[in-house]
Amino acid sequence: MSVLQTEGLAVGYGERVVVDGVNLEALKGQFICLLGPNGSGKSTILRCLAGLLSPLKGSVYLKGDVLYRLEPKDLSRIMAVVLTDRLSPGLVTVFDVAAMGRYPYTNFFGHFSEDDRRKTWEALRLVNAHDLAERYFSELSDGEKQKVLLARALVQEPEVIVLDEPTTHLDVKHRLEVMEILRELTKEKGITVILSLHEIDLALKSCETALLVKNGKILAYGPPEVVLDEEMVTTLYDINSAHFSLCLGGMELVNNGGPMVYVLAGAGSGAPLYRFLNKCGFSIMTGVLHENDVDYHVGKALGARVIGEKAFEEISDRSFSKAALLSNQVPYIVESDYPVGSFNRRNADLARHILAQGKVIYSLRGREGARRLYGDGAAGMVFFPDFNSLGKRLKDLSREQQAGGE
Amino acid sequence: MRAHDNKINTLPLPFLFALFGLLLLVFVILNITLGSVQISLSEIWKSLLHKGDPVFQTVVMEIRFPRAVAAVFGGAALAVSGLLLQIFFRNPIADPYVLGVSSGATLLVAIVSLSGFAMGMRSVSPYLLSAAALIGALGVVALIVILAGKLKNVVTLLVVGMMIGFMCSAGTSFLIAFAEKEQVHSFTLWTLGSFSGFCWDEAAVLAIGGAVLLIASYLLCKPLNALLLGEDYAQSMGVDIRTLRVVIVVISSVLTALVTAFAGPVAFIGLAAPHLARLTLGSSDNKVLIPAAILIGALITTLCDLAARLVFAPVELPISAVTSLFGGPIVIFLLLKRKTSL
Repeated sequence: MSVLQTEGLAVGYGERVVVDGVNLEALKGQFICLLGPNGSGKSTILRCLAGLLSPLKGSVYLKGDVLYRLEPKDLSRIMAVVLTDRLSPGLVTVFDVAAMGRYPYTNFFGHFSEDDRRKTWEALRLVNAHDLAERYFSELSDGEKQKVLLARALVQEPEVIVLDEPTTHLDVKHRLEVMEILRELTKEKGITVILSLHEIDLALKSCETALLVKNGKILAYGPPEVVLDEEMVTTLYDINSAHFSLCLGGMELVNNGGPMVYVLAGAGSGAPLYRFLNKCGFSIMTGVLHENDVDYHVGKALGARVIGEKAFEEISDRSFSKAALLSNQVPYIVESDYPVGSFNRRNADLARHILAQGKVIYSLRGREGARRLYGDGAAGMVFFPDFNSLGKRLKDLSREQQAGGE
Repeated sequence: MRAHDNKINTLPLPFLFALFGLLLLVFVILNITLGSVQISLSEIWKSLLHKGDPVFQTVVMEIRFPRAVAAVFGGAALAVSGLLLQIFFRNPIADPYVLGVSSGATLLVAIVSLSGFAMGMRSVSPYLLSAAALIGALGVVALIVILAGKLKNVVTLLVVGMMIGFMCSAGTSFLIAFAEKEQVHSFTLWTLGSFSGFCWDEAAVLAIGGAVLLIASYLLCKPLNALLLGEDYAQSMGVDIRTLRVVIVVISSVLTALVTAFAGPVAFIGLAAPHLARLTLGSSDNKVLIPAAILIGALITTLCDLAARLVFAPVELPISAVTSLFGGPIVIFLLLKRKTSL
């Protein structure tokens, strides 16, 4: 059953239309997320959905009724909001802030019954803020405040909660906590959650439906897995310096030029190394990596040249010779501490081949491990205990080479 | 635990209220006893029963009693008016005069008392002054109420109110420039406020009007509490914001207008009493804050009126001088003791 529905909705202020043509349908217990760059009109849409702003065109229907014709009191029993305003309510305790959510249910004098009290505590416990109940709201951190405001919304016993950027200013722990609570609400209480987010990864990982807003228009509407691909994310945010990977569910900064480094990696040991070398200003070439290896996807998203192999296949002659050829043209070879097993054992052959050409491999594997794997060939390797020392050495080398070249 | 770090008192609320009430009673009695003629408690009692010395009876019943009643209700009215506007504008430095109410009153009083001679008036009766002040104040209230319904947000309303205030002050300055010296002196004393010369009629208007509006503002405590989170949240919880705006502006402005009409623009009480109430109670909950502001406003005003009369007797100080001089340090002290901001 559709709880909230819009038809040809245009939102804005006065004469100015901010977003036009908003058609969305929120079902019971659905988790809907608005994505878009700053200033695209996400907040304006949300304010309109919450009844804080009347629509310029079209309508919003709440459970079949025209939303802005509802009495404020009736509306407040169905819909609650969490806004971005920085609040300074003065000397009000956390419990009292949450308790304000009982407003639509208490009598003229705001008399608080045992039932109201119990419901307030329940909501505070649900968001893990019951320990804060006695504190003044203004003393809390941003993350704690956000949880309390969420509790306040819950105390209102709504069927729909509208949240404007609930994760902004929060640290990782609180961000995940808030999203987790919201997801539980949709699943267990059947509350419909509509929110705006800045983090694509969070949207992808928590929402069922995404509404992409840009330049006053709705770019797409549907499950994030369907509507969010690399191209759409690039259009949505106008970013050229980063790549979005649906498989990784996040963004990677794209590598743009700089001296080439060939990286031997695998089984996830490459991902942090790529990012590190990328930040140091190197371009990356890597392989041979299997297509089911996370390094493969991170490498691709970073814009590295990846020599790939089909999943669960042994490395073919074709891939091997391609890797051998390319690694030969690159000034620096680096290897991570990747494990060698039956599928990728030819990567060890590749390393031996490179060493046999008289090239140096800068290794993070450690002397002992390398000797076991490559035998005497390991003599041609230089070892580093960590990323930092490796990065420093590579930077020095490339600087020397530049100076020599001039 | 940290929970109570910022509370200045740990006394239970009923005790605090009893304390405030008792102090108020003591100050009211002192106000009636002390002065150029000392009147003992038993004399006061006799006067109340119309059995006392006729001279004392006149002093008690015709001068000091109405004056004390006026100070109690005047102080309470200003305190609540200030509290309402501080919540409404979500601004700790809002006071009853931010919307230009006193400037409107002052302008009309200036017109009557400074240019009265030009219009052929020999002297200005206090009734005329009060009527002028009331008309001026209510005129500004009417203007503000009309605007309050039209303006998008309260900050705009605040600025508009201040502008109206400045315009009225400009008119007043204009009149002062062309007025005669003696008139300016008595006019200036009026602008500093005084509870002297209150007769029963005036005190009754202030007390009855004030009491009605104070009760009305207490009835608003539920939506006022919701307003602590801002207008958007209040609206989302079912508050009819447009109506509430008008009601708050009307109640607070009429409260101020009543006091200003009879006592002139008494400074500081409306700004400081709400803060003192908040700080001593350690709470912004209007259910306790409004009664506390009423008691504290009445308390400070009676105390300051007493000081104004006695300290440099027989010269009587303007009450605004006393309120600011006494109250300022107290508010600063309380703020320093507390770590969080208002």
